[in-house]
Amino acid sequence: MALKTICIVGDEALVKEYIALASSKRYKCTSTPSKTTTLALELTNISIEVKQKNLRRLDKSLKKSIPILSSSVTVTVAEQNTWIKHPERLIGLGALPTLLQGSLLEFAPSSLTTDAVKAAAQVFARSLGKETSLVQDSAGLVLPRILCSLINEACFALGEGIADGTDIDTAMKLGTNYPDGPVHWGMQIGLEQVHAVVAALHRHFGDDRYRAAPLLRSASFQDMI
Amino acid sequence: MISTIGIIGSGTMGSGIAEVAALAGFNVVMNDLSRKALDSGLNRIKQNLNRSVEKDRITAVVATESLARIRTSEEFSPLETADFVIEAAIEDLNIKRDIFQKLDAMLNPEAIFATNTSSLSITSIAATVKRTGNVVGMHFFNPPPLMKLVEVVKGKQTSDETAAVTVELARRMGKAPVICKDTPGFIVNRVARPFYGEALRLLGEGVATVEEIDRIVKLEGGFKMGPFELMDLIGIDVNYAVTKSVYEQFFHEPRFRPHPIQRQMVEAGTLGRKTKKGFYQY
Ligand SMILES: NC(=O)c1ccc[n+]([C@@H]2O[C@H](COP(=O)([O-])OP(=O)(O)OC[C@H]3O[C@@H](n4cnc5c(N)ncnc54)[C@H](O)[C@@H]3O)[C@@H](O)[C@H]2O)c1
Repeated sequence: MALKTICIVGDEALVKEYIALASSKRYKCTSTPSKTTTLALELTNISIEVKQKNLRRLDKSLKKSIPILSSSVTVTVAEQNTWIKHPERLIGLGALPTLLQGSLLEFAPSSLTTDAVKAAAQVFARSLGKETSLVQDSAGLVLPRILCSLINEACFALGEGIADGTDIDTAMKLGTNYPDGPVHWGMQIGLEQVHAVVAALHRHFGDDRYRAAPLLRSASFQDMI
Repeated sequence: MISTIGIIGSGTMGSGIAEVAALAGFNVVMNDLSRKALDSGLNRIKQNLNRSVEKDRITAVVATESLARIRTSEEFSPLETADFVIEAAIEDLNIKRDIFQKLDAMLNPEAIFATNTSSLSITSIAATVKRTGNVVGMHFFNPPPLMKLVEVVKGKQTSDETAAVTVELARRMGKAPVICKDTPGFIVNRVARPFYGEALRLLGEGVATVEEIDRIVKLEGGFKMGPFELMDLIGIDVNYAVTKSVYEQFFHEPRFRPHPIQRQMVEAGTLGRKTKKGFYQY
């Protein structure tokens, strides 16, 4: 079987994880769109400007039938639709570092997403060995929203000196059976990523419950643990 | 050196803690208001120990010896020799204060008073005794024999030494202690709030269904249970009460705001597994 070529662009940590997995499933991964590209992944969460630039470039260079799976945890698919000429090829993806360790991918179609694109997203996920779930287009989607809110709360507790990072992680693992402690998990995901999701929730809902913990923004975080 | 532990309240938590302490080799004096309450607590301990013997986790000799280390009484006088008291009576500030005030007058001034409260302030429970430095939170999780975690909670006046002795005692009981400050929800009941709160909001906004949210959280995130399965297990009423308590104690901080879905389920009497109906049917 000929190798399928997919174009993967976006935040470095995510691009690395997706390339590692896709390559192991016999995809040829490139960082630029080309005539042989059959599917594109746009994995920028941190900078909306970069995301917009990447999406516009993909939209311009790729035949309009080529689906674009775009990480949509910090900006809704509906908003991204307004950036490009062919929004019907766009489908949201719940991409956040570390989550490829799981066995499911979240997709958020918009009202414009075609059935063919939805099907292509499912086929791609299955080829990576993942189950899929279709959810509504909403900031943070499902797991990234829950997880980043947990990490944000752990950062508030840490910043207020309630306990040290090790004890917070031990407490959550033993007290509630979480697979990893929120402080350690936050470091694995990358605090910039977590902050981007929490800030997006804050923007999207305009609710103070989503304001970021001071520690999430500050570089002093590393020293506190 | 701690050798005798007094336990106030022989309910779910008190009897579980007594079992753990006796198995760890401590002499235990367990107190409750009535003989009936004490007997039912003691029965639970016996059943648990028997089950442990059946499952080959402990020998019959260890079970018999552990049980023999537990004395029960409706009076406070047998508690006089205790070096360390763990209070696990009902969740009521005045009752907890009253218990510690009575013991304050009877016990050796060195003795430490620990409370297993989940939602009351340690600082407030300690306020009416002389030995404020010797009062500490020792928050076990249900069921105490199985759950390794103990939150050792330092009130405003808890001395470093009291906290250190409590940590050491928890270790001798085979537990994994963590230290935290006396703030609403301590660590677990606070940091876990968004797990339920965001899931409820996602449901309320129609982003995904109960089943889908649980499935995503488990398969994508590697959690053993989804938020709705967990709320059904804990009891939707219990979970709602914890959320409300943390929310109120944090002066209505929006991060802890409860969700109308929770209240409505409590109003409907659909409380989870215990009523055979919650987010799922049982
Ligand atoms: N159940 C849990 O999951 C859990 C977990 C952690 C902490 N806690 C805390 O542990 C404490 C006990 O909870 P529980 O679930 O074991 O309750 P419970 O109702 O099972 O037991 C409470 C016992 O205390 C006795 N009691 C009441 N007033 C008393 C008094 N003045 N003197 C002596 N005994 C008295 C009651 O007769 C009863 O047997 C509470 O503070 C609770 O918040 C409970």
